Formats: sequence, structure tokens, C-alpha cells
Amino acid sequence: MTNNTFNSADNSTNVFPEWRNKDLKDALCACRDLLEDTSFPTVARWRENGGKVIGHFQVYFPEELAHAAGALPVKMRGTQLDSTHADSHFGSYLCSIIKTTLEVSLSKNITLDMFVSHPICDAARNLAAIWGRNHDYPCQILYLPQNPNSSHSVEYLKDEYSRLLETITAVTGSKVTDADITNSINVFNENRELMRDLYDIKRETPWLISAEDAYALVALSGIIPREEHNELLRWALPLIKERSERQQDRIRVVFEGAFCEQPPLDMVRMLGQSCYVVDDDFLIGLRWITDDVPNTGNPIYNLAESYIERSSYSPVQHDNRKLKEEMLLTRVRKSRAEAVIVAAAKMCEPGLEEQVAYTYALDEAGIPYFVSEFEENMTSFEGIGLQVETFLENILFA
Amino acid sequence: MSITAGIDVGSTYTKVVIVNDQGEILARELRPTGFKLLQVATATLESCIKKAGLNREDINYIIATGIGRHQVTFKDVHVTDLTASARGAGYLFPNTRSVLDVGGQTMKASRVDENSKVSSFRMNDKCAAGTGAFLEKTARYMGFETEEIGPLLSTSREPVPISGVCAVFAESEVINHLSLGTPPADIMLGAITSLVERCLQLLRRIKAEPEFTLIGGILRFEAMAKSIGDQVDVKVNVPADDIVQFVTAFGAAILGQRRLKKLAEEQALEASAG
Repeated sequence: MTNNTFNSADNSTNVFPEWRNKDLKDALCACRDLLEDTSFPTVARWRENGGKVIGHFQVYFPEELAHAAGALPVKMRGTQLDSTHADSHFGSYLCSIIKTTLEVSLSKNITLDMFVSHPICDAARNLAAIWGRNHDYPCQILYLPQNPNSSHSVEYLKDEYSRLLETITAVTGSKVTDADITNSINVFNENRELMRDLYDIKRETPWLISAEDAYALVALSGIIPREEHNELLRWALPLIKERSERQQDRIRVVFEGAFCEQPPLDMVRMLGQSCYVVDDDFLIGLRWITDDVPNTGNPIYNLAESYIERSSYSPVQHDNRKLKEEMLLTRVRKSRAEAVIVAAAKMCEPGLEEQVAYTYALDEAGIPYFVSEFEENMTSFEGIGLQVETFLENILFA
Repeated sequence: MSITAGIDVGSTYTKVVIVNDQGEILARELRPTGFKLLQVATATLESCIKKAGLNREDINYIIATGIGRHQVTFKDVHVTDLTASARGAGYLFPNTRSVLDVGGQTMKASRVDENSKVSSFRMNDKCAAGTGAFLEKTARYMGFETEEIGPLLSTSREPVPISGVCAVFAESEVINHLSLGTPPADIMLGAITSLVERCLQLLRRIKAEPEFTLIGGILRFEAMAKSIGDQVDVKVNVPADDIVQFVTAFGAAILGQRRLKKLAEEQALEASAG
């Protein structure tokens, strides 16, 4: 990266100092507080320091490109805001995240320099157009390949990423070299490794970290610079492993259905009180690439190839080599889960459709499951909590 | 011999029951819940262990239940009070098909199957009018303590109507009745009758079937059980003495025994496979 307006390696990128100089418990509390803060203070601080912000909608976005250009990639994942402006742009029959993501921007809780959406569903396809009419900065649609099985898909995606990078660099006013992108790939590879380590803790010793703390640690990667996130995880993970929390006799559960809209943190907390959430697809876009991205050769090609060849699954990517039901069953087996919570965001067509295939596969495999819906701005969890507990008790005392 | 403890952290009282693998109650203990749930759960358990002549390490498995179950950090697992009370009622009265639990601040009706699994349930709305708090308030308006409700009821000749729509508004009804010279015992029985009507509404909503087992602190008052029995027109089961208040904690302890057995079976299976 040359001529950057903002140096991401500079000390001034310390946008989330609240976790520092605290013990683990208080630091995790600071992480949860930041996650629930609808004013997005870390993004505001980045901008105050002169940095540019690239907002990207769910599910996956090659954040390395924004990072290489010196911008802060921010995961736009909705929030618990009342939709006052956005309701006039979207019908009531659409999911919440579309509206609250737009609301976050229209209400000026967050200010971006560029926004990228993806055609993962009709609502998301329309989001970029509506966004563009209401903001005076670039709004782009990133067209991820509809058919990842095509032999041309990697080359196609490489070109698409290059097209996107041109707009990003126009916004940041920087020139990005291959070495810059490779450097970003290295930063993100470390982050991916740390996230995998976190999920290993969830799978092997889930009593050492609560479901909501694990969630918060992952989610923060979407709103703070990745170097800071790496630093946070490098510090927190060894301390979590050293904890002496008592293991409880709980059912091990996989949560499936949060690939786009996210359940509120209180719902994650409620689930974590009744079972061990040993694996999940929470914010799967932030953990989409499952292995290291190669750091030799053409870095944009490497990113594109990794999206296709080294990636997780979601209801909005259709790859004949990655049968979603099979991948769910693998997730269950790998984590030694005893049950699955098959959830979907209200009004989410892809999520609700996939529930059918998932439940058929689970039935066939004899794995008990609980089907549910959620909404990011729901506030009452008593009903669903009682249902989940009853479901788990039926397994526990069968 | 495996020993398990059930801890029911209720909204008004915290109850602990310790049982052996024969399902025999070794000790039971009860304390007001107050505001420090973990502290009271710990203290009640320790006191109960002492009563049973045991040590903490003698307890092989702990199940927490009740509204404060999540706060009990030293448990092995927690279960809903619906599951625990169904198992407790089913253990004491194996033909139980409907359970009515009237506590200090909640009322729950469950329909259960032949294995004491909950198949349907309803709970009262977030309102004290359908709970023991309603009786306590009514007694307090007339200058009586909760412990005096039982003896007071035994002197009643005829209940007077109390709407029971709201525990707060009931105060004005009580004052009206007192100003008309109505004996406090009849007012108290009127409050019981009102509470019973709420119980019946819940039982109707779950399509309750006999046998009925009635549990919870409010069932300590004989008039309550008798009134419900008269209304449903079949014999109702009421655990003897103060056990009626411990059924949920007892059910949790029994579930603990069941879980220990299952874990032992799984371990044996793993050992034989490996």
C-alpha cells in the first residue's frame, strides 16, 4: 500500500482500548458491551483518526482487499435499533437485518465511505440500489459466482475482486500492490487460525467459555481492525484455556441458521445457559475461509480460489461438491454434538428453505433437533427458552 | 449407593431434597429465597447435607430447578420446574396425568404421560392474582400472617366473593367486606375460592385428565385442595404433610438418580466397546 491516508499499523489504530489492563472476565464484559453498543464507537474512532470505512453486508466479503487499501472493513450485520427511517424503504414482509442495516446508516449511527452488498437474496439485491439512492458514496454489488463448480469460477471471481478493488482504492486514494494484499492475507490468516483455536475450545472444553462470550469475540472482528482483534485473541485464548470452570452435565448442541441475520446476544446467552453450543454458523462470513489463504503467487487469485476451494457453507451458496446437509452432519460429528437447533431468521426465505433439507438429513441420521425462528430485535426469550430446555431435558432424561 | 440432591430455587422459598438410589428422602430443607439466589441455594444445600448426616462429597449429582436454577453454579445440570415437578409427582403417584403447582408467585398446570413426561403445560400470566402472593396479601390486609391462613380458614362458614382479578385491587374489596362486618375467615375462604377458579381455568386449557396431583406451597392449606377436588369432582392426590412443598426439588433429585444410572450405563458401554 502506498500513499495511504491512514496507516493501519500505526498506534492510532487502537480503537478498542476498553479491554486492555483488565482481567479476563472484565475484558470479555467490555467485548460484549462494545458489541451491543449501537453507536459503533470503534468505527467512529477509526474515522476520527482519518481512516476510511468500507461497510459490507452479509455473508462473505474479501476483507483483505479493504484492509490492503488501508480501510476498515466493517461487517454490517444489523443491530437492535428501532427501524424508523428504513421502514419507509422496505416492506414489512422482509427480514429485519435488511432494515436495521440501512437504519444504522440512515440514523447516522455509523458513517461509511463505501458500501458493498451481495445478491444473496432478492432483499439484499435491492439493498445496494436503495443504499445508493440515499448516500453519496459508492455502493457496489459484489457478484460472487452463482456456479462455483464452473472451471471459470475462480478466474471470474478474481476479475470481480479486481473490479471491486478499483473502487475501493478510488475511495481510499491509495495504490495497492500485490505485496500489500499478501501482507493483509497474512494478517487475516493469523486471525483465521486464532478463530479456529477459539472454536476448538468450544468443541473440546465448552465449559471454559460461555456461548455469548465466544460469540462476542468472533463478532468484534467485524468492527475493529484485524490487528487489534488478533492481539485480543492472542491474549484471551490462553487465559480461557487456563480457566478452572467446572464442567456441567449439559447436552452438546450445534446451532444452525445464523449465516446472515444474527440472533440477539440475549438469545445466545439463553441458549448457553441450557446447553453447550459446541459449534455453529454464527457470522459464518467472518469465518468463511476454513484454512490459510496461500501467500505466494497472485494474491487476488489466491483469495478467489480460497472462496471456492477452502470455504464453509451457507444456504446462499450453491456448490454441488459441498452438500449443505452433509456439511451440517460433519459439523455435528466433528463437535460430538448430541442435538441441533435448526433456526432461521423470520422472513428469511433461503434460511427457511434450508431447514427442510437439514431436518430430513437429521431425521435420517437419528440426530434430535429443535426447529425455531428468531429475529434480531426480539426481546423476550422466556417462551423459546422454556421450549429449548424442555427439548434438551427430553434428551437428557430419555 | 448414589446420592443426589434436588435444589428448587423458587420465587419465595428455596427447597432442597436429598435422596438415595432407592428414591428414599434422606433429608429436606427449606429457606426463604430472598435476593441472593446462589448464596441461599448453597446455604440450604449445606444445611440439608448436615441434616442427612452426610458430607458435601457424598452428593454424587446435583440438579437445580425453579426460577433461580441458572444462578446455581455448582449444579451438574438444571431442569425446568415443569419437568422436575412432573417427575416428582409421577414418582409419588404413578397414575398422575395432570399436575397443578401453585407456588408463591407462579401457578403451573401440566399434562403428563405415563412416563411422567410433560406433554402440555400452561402457566399463569405475569400477575400475582393467581398465586400464593394473592393469599398472603389478602391475609396481610386483615392483619394476619401467612402461617395463620390455615387455622383462619378452618373457622370459615361461607366464602364471600372476591373477584381475584388483581391482587392489588383486592385490597379495596377486602376493606369493603370488613366494613360490612364480614368475618375475616370468610373473606380468606373467598380468596381461596377465587384462586381455585384460576387453577381450574389453567387445568381446562391443558385438557387436564385424572389423576390430578396438586403440589406447591399453597396446597399446604387443606381448604385449597378440598375446593379443587370438589370442583373437578374426582379424588385428587396431595402429598402428605410438608412434602407437598418439596415435590419439585424431590423430582429434581429423582431425575439426578436417573441421570447417574444412564451415565453409568454409557460408561459401561464405552468400556466394553473400547
